Order: sequence, then structure tokens, then C-alpha cells
Amino acid sequence: MHGGDDQHETAMEPGFDFISPRFEEPKFPMHQVWGYAASLVLTFAALWMTVNRIMSPSVLLGVVLAMAVAQGALQLGVFMHVRESRGPAWHLLPLGMAFAIGIGLVGMSAWIMLFKSGVS
Amino acid sequence: MSSRALDDKAQKLQLAELPPEFQDQEESIKITGFWLFIVTDVLIFASLFATYAVFVNRIASGPTPAQVFQLNTALIETLILLTSSFTIGIAIWAMRQNRQRMVLAWLALTAALGMAFVSIELVEFAGDVAVGWGWHTSAFLSSFFLLVAAHGTHVTMGIIWAVALLFQLRKRGLTTVTRRKLYTFSLYWHFLDIMWVFIFTVVYLGGRLI
Repeated sequence: MHGGDDQHETAMEPGFDFISPRFEEPKFPMHQVWGYAASLVLTFAALWMTVNRIMSPSVLLGVVLAMAVAQGALQLGVFMHVRESRGPAWHLLPLGMAFAIGIGLVGMSAWIMLFKSGVS
Repeated sequence: MSSRALDDKAQKLQLAELPPEFQDQEESIKITGFWLFIVTDVLIFASLFATYAVFVNRIASGPTPAQVFQLNTALIETLILLTSSFTIGIAIWAMRQNRQRMVLAWLALTAALGMAFVSIELVEFAGDVAVGWGWHTSAFLSSFFLLVAAHGTHVTMGIIWAVALLFQLRKRGLTTVTRRKLYTFSLYWHFLDIMWVFIFTVVYLGGRLI
């Protein structure tokens, strides 16, 4: 590794700053409390919107899915400390890859089933 | 001193600021390895979600999703799991503050919430099967039980892991190794919470929307 001056972040190749490690250890777990509150708000909001059918079902499905993605990001960022690592947080790359493949797999399966013709 | 030696010194200072489970090279590699396990589990759940999305309308002569799912139960399950995700988050925070008794208490609470979750889920499944809505009834129910029970099995494994960790932490205290184990357990538990949020959204809320 090069660049010894910087004590808090390991020097990175240009363009790879996003995997530089981060740590946070506050005296009170404020992040966790906010993360919990936010996940509760998102859950109840999604439930309320669904029960009251505030918009057309297909649009609503997209909205509640977006809220689920937000909750997932919240868990990863607030609780899983996704950027904590000894050196560069290399696990971010395969994790992003897995999310991309997962979204592709589910999305394309759902999409292909929209065509009602053919075998069933 | 050569610049290379200065670099090494800076790196050692930097490492000394890390939590013990990351300072130790072997333990930190195990954490990275656990992330790779989570990556593979993401792919398993993705294929189960894809299967569910394909089969959700194939109800044969069985019930529709709206008939099967009760939002009250699903909401209670969701609240329990969200709370357990919070409690294990606090346990990790307490671990970083070196407060062992607090870690034990929050970890025990997490395991108890996990047990409550699995119990409610089993009662829900038993109720479905009792009225003849088993996993052989339709492709929809097969994929539903496969997806949701895969998650439930993961949670059950997590409970066993948490209980084992409770005993080990009591016996050995917060060592580099037990810290790493608790850390990877928290990753596992939060990951299961994320998967449940998607099950709640796609399966239970989605059941009302399609």
C-alpha cells in the first residue's frame, strides 16, 4: 500500500474510493434507534397504502417494492456496517454483483410471465 | 527511516484503531468470507422469489393469495423481526463498548424474539395445512411454502447459533474470536430481516395487490 500520510483511510486506486473502510463507534446507539424508527415507519406506511389502496395496484406494488429496497439499504447501512473492513471493503463488489443478478433474475422472470400466451 | 518503513508504521497505527475482530487478520478474513456466504444466500433467495413470482397465479383448484394470507399475522411477524434486528444491532454496539453483560442481555432478547417469530410462523403454516391448503395443493402454495419456509429455516438456524453464542460468550467473554462470531451472527440476522421485508412486501402485501 502507498500513501502513508492518511491515517484514517487506506490509499486507493483512483475510482475505488467507495470501498475504502469506515468505522463508527458513538457513545449512544443513535443510528440504530433512528434506523429502527425509520424501518417501522416504512413498514406501517407500506401496509396503510396497501390496505387503503391509495393508487392503482400495479403502481402501488412498485411503490411498496421501492420502500422495501429502502428498508434493505437502511439495514445494510445502519445495522450491518457494510463499509467496515480491515482493508478495502472488497465484499462490496460481489455483494453488488449478487444484487444485480438477483434483480435481473426476479425481474426478468416476472416480465416473461406477463406474456399470457404460450405454455402455462 | 525509509518511506516503506514509515508506511508500515502508519499502517500499524491505523490497525490499532480498529475493533479487535478486524485487527486480527485471520478473524477479519472470516468476516469477509461470511459476506461471501451472504452473497450466495442472496442468490438462493433471488431464485426462490423468481419461482414465487412465476407461480403466484397458478392456483389450480386451491385458494388465491388473498384468501391464504392474513395481514395481521404477517404484520406481527414483521414487527418482531424488525425489533430483533434492532436488538442485535444494540448488542454489536455494546460489544464495541466492551459491555459484556449488556451484550448477553440483548443477544438473549434477539434469540427470544426469533423464537417468537418461528412459533407464529409455524402456527400460521399449521393453520393453512389444517384447512387443506398444503404445499401440494397448487404451484402457488408450493412456491409460497418453499420461499417462506426457507426463510423460517434460516431463522431457526440463527436461533441455534445465537443460543450457542450465549453459552460461549458467558464462558469465554469478549475475545477476538467471540467478537468475530457475534459480528458474523449479526450480519446473518440483519440479512434475514432484509429477506423478510421483501417476503412481507412481495408475498403478503403483494397478495392484496394482484
